[in-house]
Amino acid sequence: MAHTLPSSDQSSDQDKWDSGGLECKGQLLIKIVMRNRLTALVVDGDTTCWVLEQELLHSYGVQTLGVDNSRDAVDLIASDAEFNLIIIEKILPVLNGLAVTRQICEIGVRCKMLEVTACSRESERQAFLAIGVDVFIERPLDPEHLVPILRELDGQ
Amino acid sequence: MERNPMRRQLAIMRQSLFDQGHVDEQFVQLEELQDDANPNFVEEVVTLYYRDSARIILNIEQALERKPFDFRKLDAYMHQFKGSSSSIGAKKVKAESTLFREYCKSGNGEGCMRSFQQLKKEYATLRKKLGAYFQLARQAGPVETASRPK
Repeated sequence: MAHTLPSSDQSSDQDKWDSGGLECKGQLLIKIVMRNRLTALVVDGDTTCWVLEQELLHSYGVQTLGVDNSRDAVDLIASDAEFNLIIIEKILPVLNGLAVTRQICEIGVRCKMLEVTACSRESERQAFLAIGVDVFIERPLDPEHLVPILRELDGQ
Repeated sequence: MERNPMRRQLAIMRQSLFDQGHVDEQFVQLEELQDDANPNFVEEVVTLYYRDSARIILNIEQALERKPFDFRKLDAYMHQFKGSSSSIGAKKVKAESTLFREYCKSGNGEGCMRSFQQLKKEYATLRKKLGAYFQLARQAGPVETASRPK
């Protein structure tokens, strides 16, 4: 991620002092216009990450549902709830991410699946991609990875 | 336009968080998710992080008291801890987590313990600094829509 951190250019220092530095808003959050209302399921056992992932999706107008364990995730999917996108963390309570992803794919869900994890080893990455995960990324979930996926789902 | 000294101090504090390597670009992303509808988002997420990660830290501490070390378990805890730390942009904490995991992988117990001590230090330092930053932010009041100086 090659983002310039604020305050490296002197000319806008004045503005930054006045707004407490929050004027860099819009610098990282890539702006896109969504045509459709997408829905996403966020499956993450870590509350901090869960909150962030949902908030990020909300900021793009995506409706989200969040669960923090595998059992609820599988139950939801099995009950015919439909999602455009599923975001799953690798380590989850009850079943690990790999097992629950496999179950979801077996139920026959055909939507975009995004795996988020803190550290990836090549073997893990391959394992997830092999069972049908579309994208495997390292934490944290960021606009750079998310936006192309949202665009694709939106048919842009 | 009035130059608010508190805002200025706030900006300086914020910049030093970046300059000293305590936080990275992810922190900026948190700030970008903060808006009128969610005016305290950053502070809320950071508070959530410290609340939840306290449990993981305790788990790791307890695991380090049991000999021989269960490196797989330690690694799993740290994997989760690293995940949330990177989500709030905690740069030094994240770096130390990575180091810890390397020690786990190579079965280096001494390294794990040293690294964990350092991690706890960074974790506590960040908490203090962010605490002071948020406190000042609250005192300085809500951000007004920036208008170009005349």
